[in-house]
Amino acid sequence: MKLLIIEDEARIAKRIERMSRAFFGTQLQSLAIIDSLQEGITYIEQHAIDVLLLDLNLNGENGFTILESVVSRGFHTIIISANTDRAITAFTYGVLDFVPKPFDQNRLAQAFLRISQPSNALQKNTKYLAIRKNGNIALIDVDDILYIKGAGIYSELYLKNGKQELHDKTLEKLAQLLPGNFERIHKSYIVPISQIQQLLVQPGSKYDAVLKTGEIIPIGRTRYHFLKERLL
Amino acid sequence: MHRIILFLIYIFTLTACNTRHVAIFEDPKFNTGDNMPWASKEYVDSNWRSIRGNTGSQIFWLRAHCKLTEPGEIEEQLGINVYGFGSFEIYWDGALIGKNGQVQTSTQPEIPGTESSSYLIPMELATQGPHLIAMRITQANSNDYDREIKFKISPYKELIASPLNWLSIMNMTAGVFLVAAIYFLFLFINSSSKDKALLIFCIICFLFFALQVSEYIKFYITIPYSYFYTRLEIIGIITFIISLLIPLYLAIQFQIKWKWPMMSILSLTLLAIYMDNYGHYDMTAWYLSLAMWIVALIIVSYAVYKKENGAVIVLIGLLSRLLINYVLYYDASLFISFNVVILCMLYLQTIKLREAEQAHQQNIATSNRLKNSLLKKNIQPHFIKNTLTSLIDWIEESPKEGAIFVQALSSEFDILNQISDETLVPIQQEIALCEAHLKVMHFRKEIHYQWSTSGIDPSTNIPPAIIHTLLENGITHSMPLEDGNIRFHLAYEQHPGWHQFTLSTFAKNRPTTGDRKESTGFQYVKSRLTESYQQHWTFHSAATTTGWENIIKIYHHT
Repeated sequence: MKLLIIEDEARIAKRIERMSRAFFGTQLQSLAIIDSLQEGITYIEQHAIDVLLLDLNLNGENGFTILESVVSRGFHTIIISANTDRAITAFTYGVLDFVPKPFDQNRLAQAFLRISQPSNALQKNTKYLAIRKNGNIALIDVDDILYIKGAGIYSELYLKNGKQELHDKTLEKLAQLLPGNFERIHKSYIVPISQIQQLLVQPGSKYDAVLKTGEIIPIGRTRYHFLKERLL
Repeated sequence: MHRIILFLIYIFTLTACNTRHVAIFEDPKFNTGDNMPWASKEYVDSNWRSIRGNTGSQIFWLRAHCKLTEPGEIEEQLGINVYGFGSFEIYWDGALIGKNGQVQTSTQPEIPGTESSSYLIPMELATQGPHLIAMRITQANSNDYDREIKFKISPYKELIASPLNWLSIMNMTAGVFLVAAIYFLFLFINSSSKDKALLIFCIICFLFFALQVSEYIKFYITIPYSYFYTRLEIIGIITFIISLLIPLYLAIQFQIKWKWPMMSILSLTLLAIYMDNYGHYDMTAWYLSLAMWIVALIIVSYAVYKKENGAVIVLIGLLSRLLINYVLYYDASLFISFNVVILCMLYLQTIKLREAEQAHQQNIATSNRLKNSLLKKNIQPHFIKNTLTSLIDWIEESPKEGAIFVQALSSEFDILNQISDETLVPIQQEIALCEAHLKVMHFRKEIHYQWSTSGIDPSTNIPPAIIHTLLENGITHSMPLEDGNIRFHLAYEQHPGWHQFTLSTFAKNRPTTGDRKESTGFQYVKSRLTESYQQHWTFHSAATTTGWENIIKIYHHT
């Protein structure tokens, strides 16, 4: 596990570090503390990380300005902030958790647990997926998504308007963030339930979902019965 | 709009009170000397002069033939009004009907009569047809004034009452202006701002009261004809000053930039009019008020163009003069135009008072807002939650240090609580607040903050938490120097006319994306300075080679 802590309060940064070390133990491969946004972004550019622990108010600057940029990345973001009133907004951008200050070991551990939790155990309020496109960040409304296809360390977003976008997060990570109406119907596919027109049973215990647009997407054998129940 | 209608009603009421003239006069004839038969209707005066000539202190006679155009048997008794200089006895068809003053005789000096006097015409002698007015006169005083003697014959009651109609209205308006003058004087005395326009308006109201009293005082005080021109001179001077002050007042109220050049031109014009027409009192007043009117019209038109509040009402008031001139005769027109203009100005003054009141409310609101933002400073989530998170950590990790942290936090809250209601606090209290804050921040940031001051005068006051705010900014935007320290220094300097606070930060400046100068902290500082020093301050904040420098300069004003 590789962690990055962006926090301008030295004492709090140390507290997060201590608690993270206690939680991950030997699993922790690297941990860095940075006290400014600019340096944090530089660090992200140069190092691979798994989780970013981000304070939203750094040296008088609004961390929300970089939120879109960090959530577009492959790693998960956990916000640790005093501004609890921004929590809902943060969730809509697709953060894994929002830890309000002051926090204790338990609350931080709860956030860390989400990293390894399967998607259906999580409460999710993501409304946008931020993607990196030609060096810029674009926000995709999750309602515009037709389905998502896993592509190794990336995911391909297929949009209702026929366009295709690439997201830096894996399908697993997106599944942890996307709202409850998104269903992992196959190890390589996530589909909003509302987009499914009908289920097809093919010979040889092969299952397919027909989308409202007519596209056919495979359904995982283990997921068919669950999906059928959900659709009823 | 209803105001304008009221004005119009007012004006037309005034036009209604004219008297009926019931006689036609021939030009009077004069003869120096004294002979009682000259009073007789039958005496032949064909060889008399048509001008008085130089009579010195001698007695002279005047004979004027007239014709009553209405039957004498009208129910009302007729009266005759005489306008002219001198002391005289007046005869109607040979019968003595009255005296004005005492004609000079060889034994007695003249007692001057008054310029305007009224006499009853005996009923039996007021028949339709030709009559004779004869006057036995001396004009021992101001003999060189050859003022024409005029007559007016009307029903006696009308003759007496007609000026009273006028008088009642004029006294009423004079009273209004007296009350306004006193009210605005008190307002001026008791206002802290000492608004010049207010004082000028007060003076205009008073002068206008004085003008109306001077104009109509002749109806209830018997002024010897020898002082007739004194009154007119007073009226001339008052008109002169009013003509100067009204445009000045309007120029101030409408914030005209070119007011002084314009006022100079107006002064010269008024002076020229006054000199040129000296002795022609009515003409002088007329021209003066015309010059005033033109300049006022220019100012107000400009104000209307600039969309100034109340300018349109004043413009309508000024333009109403045209209508009034058209409808009314000279005196009335002049006074009513003045009245209308000043009423418009009164309206303007109340608009300005309302604006001042609104500005005052605004100030109170701003003060409350500042108080709120001061109180919020340390309960806003960013401060309190970060502090509490650090505090928990200190207590968990090293309780003793944690206790010191709690103490520091507590003393910062104490001071903030003490100063939150104030608009100015002793500098020492502000310094104590800064020191407490640095202690708290030391526990949070684990950076060594050093604080020093120089030249502090303990008697100096400063708006609360402004240095504190600049200090917060310094903490937020600075990185420690190589030795791990951030140093702050507050310097105070006093000079004749101004004093200044300089807060210097010795540290590395963090690169920022936003404009540090437009932060809410800076807005707080500026609002607090404005609250206590209005516009008499400057605030300068900029990076230096050693860090950052904030300079607050306060100019002394009375």
